[in-house]
Amino acid sequence: MKKEKKIRTYGEINEKILAKSVSVMTAEEFKAKVETDGLEKAAEEVDVVTTGTFGAMCSSGLLLNFGHSDPPIKMQKILLDEIPAFGGLAAVDTYLGATEMDESLNFFRGGAHVIEDIVRGKPVRLKAHSYGTDCYPRKDIDTWISLKTVNQAVLLNPRNCYQNYAAATNSSDKIIYTYMGKLLPEFGNVTYSSAGELSPLLNDPFYRTIGIGTRIFLGGGDGYVFWEGTQFNAKTPRAPNGTPTRPAGAIAVVGDLKKMSADYLRGLTMHRYGTTLAVGIGIPIPILDLEMAKFCSVRDADISTAVFDYSEEKRSRGVVREANYEELKSGELEIKGTKVPTSSLSSMYKARQITVELKNRIVNGNFLLQEPIERFDLEHTMKPLEIRTREEVLK
Amino acid sequence: MKTKLVLTFPQIAVQEPITCSLVEEFRIKMNILRAQIDERGGKIVLELTGTSDQIKDGIHYLKDKNVKVQSIEEGVRKDEDKCTHCGACISVCPTAALCFDKESWKVVFDDQKCVVCGLCIDACPTTAMELLL
Repeated sequence: MKKEKKIRTYGEINEKILAKSVSVMTAEEFKAKVETDGLEKAAEEVDVVTTGTFGAMCSSGLLLNFGHSDPPIKMQKILLDEIPAFGGLAAVDTYLGATEMDESLNFFRGGAHVIEDIVRGKPVRLKAHSYGTDCYPRKDIDTWISLKTVNQAVLLNPRNCYQNYAAATNSSDKIIYTYMGKLLPEFGNVTYSSAGELSPLLNDPFYRTIGIGTRIFLGGGDGYVFWEGTQFNAKTPRAPNGTPTRPAGAIAVVGDLKKMSADYLRGLTMHRYGTTLAVGIGIPIPILDLEMAKFCSVRDADISTAVFDYSEEKRSRGVVREANYEELKSGELEIKGTKVPTSSLSSMYKARQITVELKNRIVNGNFLLQEPIERFDLEHTMKPLEIRTREEVLK
Repeated sequence: MKTKLVLTFPQIAVQEPITCSLVEEFRIKMNILRAQIDERGGKIVLELTGTSDQIKDGIHYLKDKNVKVQSIEEGVRKDEDKCTHCGACISVCPTAALCFDKESWKVVFDDQKCVVCGLCIDACPTTAMELLL
């Protein structure tokens, strides 16, 4: 990447936010402006572009601290509304994963739904068991908790906000139920997940402004990027505009659940797959220079992904075709000579709402931009898991 | 006029060509939206088109044959509080009763187009779609 002439700095943008003179546009507004006014004028006039997405993000969960009971207990087996939570932390800390389900495999209620109930302020039943120690003598507890009673409720998601994602179809002769939704037989439909041109990491393809420390809109409250998302793969093939053409980067995010809202956090059930959490994320992108303006001007037609055949029961599924997001969002896609209906799995309506809400917060002086304290490694790739011997893993 | 009906057939009625008579004797145009029927009876969801007299006489005939007739005012309901407008339901809907409003990106449900097939029910991740039959 060539060195770009700076147009503005984070400091200057934040001064303008505090002075309420900042110029902010949603991703949609900015892209339209670039098309009418040209890149240079848009870059001169707009300080910040807001991006957003609202979709199923399985690698999500809630960190809770309950406070101590009397006598105290070192919780080992923990249930929140009958959904198991992790008991391997200190006495009264736990982590409730979004995809956790109870033993009955009742797909309609999992960790994600308990998280939604907690954010709604509903009472949740806590049961825990322990082996008992001299310092934590209590062995069982059965009580109720809520957002008001817990010390911390921190949404802590190891992988969210994928930078592009697969699209899915099904060549087999039966309906299949996947994390990409319900796929009808014989290429009966196509589902896709990314918000395309609204999606944060597709507007900053090389992670120039989205890195460790970036302040974000998370679940209706504020949050931060705290690490690269797990399975981060910067070396994914990219289009000439820099956008990856397959799943690539992702972010690990953290934020205070007490300030979030069920408008932007929802428990989901993917039938016969399991439960997952719909997370709303918005990221402001500062137009630091012409290159950032160029990145934020990318349109759906210039972002593409592959449609994979999810009926193949293997790690690397066959690619049925490439498709761009303009085609996917049009409602139908041609597969093997037939026009097939498409479904989005993430909400474009909510993604747009997030870009507007974040814009309002910035314009009203309630949201300052945080420059990343460290950037992601552009050489980072993703490794598969193989069946290996003890010796092979060291090679 | 058009009307949507659910016909529940008792075991005895499946041996007669009852629905065929609606067309031949009562001159009613018929669109079979769903049928689940075997030797023990079953259900058919139909859309009938004809004059109100034709349809009235047809329904009378069906009742004479011990077929239970329910009219469908609402076969599927979309819960607007639960819906996040993701669109997972859209591509499984065979009649485009569920589609995006391209301006707002909201999922809109047109119950006139709905044939109560139920394919959307388990496609919805927030359980916003409910089958009322």
